[in-house]
Amino acid sequence: MSTETQRRGAALPWLLFLTLLPLLLMPLGAIFVFAGRAGPAGLIQALGQPDAQFALRFSLLIAFGTAVVNGILGTFAAYVLSKYRFRGRETLNIIVNLPVAIPTVVVGTSLLLLWGPIGLLGQLLDPMGIQPMFTPVGVLLAHLFVTFPYMLGAVKPVLDELETTYEEAAYTIGANRWQTFRFVILPALRGGLFSGLLLTFAHSLGEFGATVMVSGNLRLRTQTAPLYIFAQFEAGNIETANAVAAVLALTSFVIFILLQRFTQRRERRVS
Amino acid sequence: MAIILDELTARYGDTIVVNRVSLEINEGELFVLLGRSGSGKSTILRMIAGLTPPAGGRIEINGRDVTHLPPQARGTGFVFQNYSVFRHMTVAQNVEFGLRIRRADPATRRQRSTQLLDLVGLGGLGGRFPDQLSGGQQQRVALARALAYEPAVLLLDEPFGALDVKIRAQLRQSLKEIQNQLDVTTILVTHDQQEAFELADRIGVIERGFLMEVNTPEALYHEPRTEYAATFVGGGNVLVGRMEGGRIKLGTVSLPVPPGAPPHEEDASVRLLFRPETVYLSDVPPPEGSGIHTLGEATVSDEIFGGSQQHVRLEMQAFEGVRSLQPAPPYGRRVFHIEAVQTSDRAAAQTRPRPGDRVWVGLRRYHVLDPSGLKILISCAETPAGEAAAAVGALLAQATAGPTTLLAVGEGERLAETRRLLEERLRRWPGGPSPRVTAKVRQGDVAAEMLAEAHEGDYELVVMGRAKDALGPVAQRILEQTETPVLLVQDARPHLARILVCTAVGEPGKTDVRFGGRIARRARAGVTVLHVARPDAEPWERERTEEHLAGAQAVLEALGVAVRTKIQPQAVFGLVATIIDEAEAGDYDLIVLGAPAWQHPGRLRWTDFASQIVRNTARPVLIVPMLA
Repeated sequence: MSTETQRRGAALPWLLFLTLLPLLLMPLGAIFVFAGRAGPAGLIQALGQPDAQFALRFSLLIAFGTAVVNGILGTFAAYVLSKYRFRGRETLNIIVNLPVAIPTVVVGTSLLLLWGPIGLLGQLLDPMGIQPMFTPVGVLLAHLFVTFPYMLGAVKPVLDELETTYEEAAYTIGANRWQTFRFVILPALRGGLFSGLLLTFAHSLGEFGATVMVSGNLRLRTQTAPLYIFAQFEAGNIETANAVAAVLALTSFVIFILLQRFTQRRERRVS
Repeated sequence: MAIILDELTARYGDTIVVNRVSLEINEGELFVLLGRSGSGKSTILRMIAGLTPPAGGRIEINGRDVTHLPPQARGTGFVFQNYSVFRHMTVAQNVEFGLRIRRADPATRRQRSTQLLDLVGLGGLGGRFPDQLSGGQQQRVALARALAYEPAVLLLDEPFGALDVKIRAQLRQSLKEIQNQLDVTTILVTHDQQEAFELADRIGVIERGFLMEVNTPEALYHEPRTEYAATFVGGGNVLVGRMEGGRIKLGTVSLPVPPGAPPHEEDASVRLLFRPETVYLSDVPPPEGSGIHTLGEATVSDEIFGGSQQHVRLEMQAFEGVRSLQPAPPYGRRVFHIEAVQTSDRAAAQTRPRPGDRVWVGLRRYHVLDPSGLKILISCAETPAGEAAAAVGALLAQATAGPTTLLAVGEGERLAETRRLLEERLRRWPGGPSPRVTAKVRQGDVAAEMLAEAHEGDYELVVMGRAKDALGPVAQRILEQTETPVLLVQDARPHLARILVCTAVGEPGKTDVRFGGRIARRARAGVTVLHVARPDAEPWERERTEEHLAGAQAVLEALGVAVRTKIQPQAVFGLVATIIDEAEAGDYDLIVLGAPAWQHPGRLRWTDFASQIVRNTARPVLIVPMLA
């Protein structure tokens, strides 16, 4: 690997482990401890409640929708930003990555100020009976905003590395723009697309700050799993909250492991 | 004609990267575009493939105008330097891609890809993925892929550039065989002349976006027309001599003009090319009647053993009036270098020179390049006089059609601006950009850099602006140190129609009359040769003057110049006043003065005289040092 000498000894690794124990490992463990406290029957009962069922299903649906929409939008944005040179390209590049830096609560607020009943656009739409805020559409809008950079971040580097001659080769062979994209570029992007989709999905699944602002936290209408957990916790139903939290945590683990294995395989292939 | 390029031009921003390239490529030909990186050769290839839009001109492939067609509609096969093989497809899928796009049935596709993979030497590897192949193999895949759909032309952009030497040689061999077998019209772009020689049916030499010369490899090597081709293709020695009495004079050596050499005017400079392997080396002078032309004695300065050949570098005392263009002469020394190559076979070599040895140098064969016109250096200062110099310089450069260098000197923060202004001037060059005109920016002190450039560049004429009342130290030093004529410009002239050659000082010189005549001939200007007669001249002096003027007239008429001679008695206010009066009365565009050699005892008096002329007229003054 590196030319630096590899140190031996267990003192520092142990120190690191001990530091991380209360910071990362124990909180994760706590969820499962609490979730399991009422026994398997309690867990199943907690998850069987209609509110919990709805929240989990709604969250998965929104995450799926976000991944699909941003999968397409993000790839398109990455393609344009990577392959075209135009005025304002640098600025656009910064703007599309901005959502990572903005606090999610602020995102929620700004969406309300745009689409809400007294918002800039909402004012005009409200009389027509169109009211995206406090509906599933509002939640989707918030998630699209918050997770936009992940797809871009996964796909654009792959596109940047893809030489222009790759496309040009396809053109000279006779492939039109669409055929070139379909048969040459898209297959080359597979890895980036997959990790981008997973990342988007995972982030959407856990989104809280923007969702809480735009959803109105309406039971059985716009309440996502994270909101449900928070609400139950506040109401003192710690077991119920933890049951859903454990499901979310597990799903995230699975996604994470998939991502990890996928990137490793890609790295092996590259090397 | 398989491919016709007509005045093809490409721009990148304001810069012209391909300049009106016209070329016809035959059916089944393997044509090589040879040039340095950045010369525009790849851009030409990309324009043919439709990957770069041309800024002007026309492209025809197999009789069809494809100038404005997209790449998909042109039917070219393109091979890139970086292979660009599709990584997610197998080798066979890569090769079949073109057929798949064209909706050929799977059986045909399979058959074709098997056939092509066999052809490029990858039989049986169709199921592999590109990252399981070496670079050379990937490039073979790219070649098969480009050939699969039977393209009208095959275009290869430095296809072997990313490969190591051995693989490169193998691939070259394969390409030649495949191209022969399929008989597909091919253009290959490379910077490697060895590659060009080995592969090409014909080579086109590209430099700064201009197609300099097109010919077969052998003709380009042995009989190039331009200096660029002569020095870029193969190692070569280029000496500049002079045409005199129907023979080529290299100082004291006189060589016959070889049959078929391009015609040169009397007294014009002649560029002589001889390749290292045509240089004869021996301990004794070449025998009479051996057909070897003796050049003289030289010292071996370097000797390198190169396997089958031994490379020898010789240092020769420079002949008077002979310049060396290649190899570049060592700075500040009156010697020049000659490259020679001998076979390493000790039995066959006449001698085995060692550094320090004295050897006789002869030429078995030499070649004369096309006449070049005047090699002009124009100093482009950002002053009114500098502007005027550039304008008059442009007139001269256009008239003489010689290689011209625009020089600007800048320093520090001004450097970028200086460069920009010079490039701008190059773009606005009257008659459009030309392969003969180049721009050069030097860094440092104006006077020192001007002088250095005049020294190094071996110019035949230096054009520069001047102050109202002085020759200026730079001009004086150029005249003294390089014996290069200097044209001093204060005010610009709209044209060069009337030239006044003054033979007032000493005897009517040969050099100044001839030089003025060369310019006049190219500019189609009329010449007046003026002699100012001393009032107290003896009759025999008058007779001699008339004789000389008749001689001058004969020389100029031989050049085809309209000439008038005039003897003017010296005016009361002296010699200078007489010349100035004549110049004003005739509204001359150029005053030509001969200057005595700088060692000449009358030199100081002359400098004073020239300064007075310059002080009293705003017209361009050309000062020609007289060669002994």
